[in-house]
Amino acid sequence: MQKSILWVFIALLAVSCNQSVKKEGLTTEAAKTEKIVAATINELLASPADYQDEEVAISGMVSHVCRHGGQKCFLVAEDGETQIRIVPGGEIDEFKVEMEGSTYAVKGIFRVLNNEQTEEHLEDHESKEHHDVEQSHSAAEKAEYFVEAIDIKDITP
Amino acid sequence: MGFLFFGMTIIYGISGIALNHHAARHWDPGLITRSTTLQYPETLRKADVDRSSIEKILEITGEKENYKQYYFPSQNQIMIYLKGGHISVNMQTGSMQLTKVRNRPVFNELNYLHYNKPKKLWTWFSDLYAFGLILIAISGLFLIKGKKGIVGRGGILTLAGILIPLVFLIIYLWL
Repeated sequence: MQKSILWVFIALLAVSCNQSVKKEGLTTEAAKTEKIVAATINELLASPADYQDEEVAISGMVSHVCRHGGQKCFLVAEDGETQIRIVPGGEIDEFKVEMEGSTYAVKGIFRVLNNEQTEEHLEDHESKEHHDVEQSHSAAEKAEYFVEAIDIKDITP
Repeated sequence: MGFLFFGMTIIYGISGIALNHHAARHWDPGLITRSTTLQYPETLRKADVDRSSIEKILEITGEKENYKQYYFPSQNQIMIYLKGGHISVNMQTGSMQLTKVRNRPVFNELNYLHYNKPKKLWTWFSDLYAFGLILIAISGLFLIKGKKGIVGRGGILTLAGILIPLVFLIIYLWL
């Protein structure tokens, strides 16, 4: 019995290692064909339809990281007021609280929710615990626009 | 198998309790947050805030070494980001709230494993653990023979263990 369990464990490890190698191969292939649009946060929000579902590269200071699992963070635009919501995508699982106050370059897909999705998003937002008072990132938190991050890099000067 | 999975059961047990209270009480098991209120000697205006006023705030709070960046979340507020926290300054009153955030020892590590953050091999090991739990649960049903076993008291307890979660589902989810 004990020997059988050990062999099952070894077999699972071997399958796991093999899958990691395959994934790396796919990522390299994808990197060769990607097309990224560099834009400012204000540019994205000024004409969202032009960037919808495009891969974009933006940067800004992280003003807040959601404390509930780090499933969103907010970047401040160059004007120091406008903010945009960033959600984890690709290989990113979560954002760390330590990111707050640092400047990050974010590569990701710019998403725009339709009316139905926006309603669902707002209902979901209302049903969960959030800040008691309005925050500077509240508008971005409720907004229909967000970036699904694929890659993030600390570029704090 | 029970010996092999002792550590895993403790990890999932403790972090499971933490997760319950995280959801029910909005308590963050992974972070410790401490806030202190301090006073800036005068009121401030957004137009007058510069590097020297920021340095003065950092001096009063003793956080000069930890400074990262600052910005104005609103017309009356300065947010100064630090390594391991932030200072929120109310410019109208001069009130400063220093918030320090750090990882909660033990819970942070347990959560890291419970949420399968390491991925890769950990996924397989924790799957093996879950499979082991199922095996332990099933074999446990037939461990005791007679009146105290599955045909007697054990059977009643097993049924209760299945019915209790079902009752919660009926009340909170399905009704």
